[in-house]
Amino acid sequence: MTCEELRDEYGAYSLGIAQDPERSEIAEHLARQCPECVRGVRSAMVMVTAMSGMVPSVEPPKHLRSRVVGMVERETKRPFFGLVLPWAISATLAIVLLAVVLPSRRPNADTAKLQQALAILNDPAAKEVTFGETAKPSRGRVFVSGSKGVVFIGASLPAIDTGKTFELWVIPAKGNPVPAGTFRGETDATAVYVRPGPVPADAAAVAVTVEPEGGSPQPTTTPFLVIKLSGT
Amino acid sequence: MSGQNDETLARGLQRKDPAAMADLYDRFGRIAYSVILSIVRDGAAAEDLVQETFLRVWNRAQTFDVERGALGPWLLSIARNRAIDHVRSATARMDRNAFELDAHEHPSLFVDMEREVVNSDHARLIQKAIAKLSQNQREVIQLAYYEGLSQSEMAERMGQPLGTVKTWVRGALKFLRDEIGQAVTA
Repeated sequence: MTCEELRDEYGAYSLGIAQDPERSEIAEHLARQCPECVRGVRSAMVMVTAMSGMVPSVEPPKHLRSRVVGMVERETKRPFFGLVLPWAISATLAIVLLAVVLPSRRPNADTAKLQQALAILNDPAAKEVTFGETAKPSRGRVFVSGSKGVVFIGASLPAIDTGKTFELWVIPAKGNPVPAGTFRGETDATAVYVRPGPVPADAAAVAVTVEPEGGSPQPTTTPFLVIKLSGT
Repeated sequence: MSGQNDETLARGLQRKDPAAMADLYDRFGRIAYSVILSIVRDGAAAEDLVQETFLRVWNRAQTFDVERGALGPWLLSIARNRAIDHVRSATARMDRNAFELDAHEHPSLFVDMEREVVNSDHARLIQKAIAKLSQNQREVIQLAYYEGLSQSEMAERMGQPLGTVKTWVRGALKFLRDEIGQAVTA
């Protein structure tokens, strides 16, 4: 679509309520730094920011300041190995992610994905589970951060038909599986999928199913992977 | 809240100086908490999300353009997105579209932006402008801002055709842009 056709949707996009095809078209234009769309979305972002002025002002609890500031004070005082080790792990995984992700044609979007992945990997509270080391044909590793999201790295994934897609699910201890986005495998049956954003606090497992293109609100097939998070 | 202050503050965050985080909180903690609370309507969740918002700024400060970036608008965008993500998660509306809010937080979208956009004068301006909207336009803006409903979800909620809802959304956003756009754009 042309910039002219997308102009009316800049506001909806900036509010996070635009729909396809306009939403993905604008994202595509932004990813390639289209000057007109960048300018238009920036302008709309001003408006969305200004909307914070319609919110009633509420005094936050006094302890919140020390909680926020204390969080980074603790981080800056962490001992040497406490700082280096997570970064070493992240750096290794970053290399893996870079190797898999960057050959594609959307460097800006992929850099953002990489940053999202590193934020998840750097969360000290993230759970990490290696799967498929024994009987399961698919193998890999999953990282689940309650506040930041999920990184799924898989190999030997099953071949799927055209019109089908993999769908990731977060399974809470109680309640139905929560859809966590769709992804496709590479031609070598591997996949690296990053789903930023909070996951249910009582997440007990992560599962992957094969679903019709576009995904399903609830699983329509039996998961070929169920990765338990308990005890990690 | 001068540009120089923004720049100094951003440089402090890039140096990982906790004093800069304290300054950042003193400047934007109240409005960030207010925005988040207005969306999630739960004090405990709002506190968690404020913490997550400031941590995200802290972790991503290296990507921020200290000379041209607008710190407040960037932080408030992150705050609202965290809150909308939380609400969508709580209502199981975690479809694939929900996770693309992150793209709206990229610091490159907040360069050359008027930094004073979050001050009280502009708050009055937006309140006046929203009061001038029609009832339906005001409702769609509130559903979008506070609940992050997609236009299809609004159509379902309001029992109206999608095309009608899109017309209201476009009309409302155009009106707001015309009313406040010139005043807040650098």
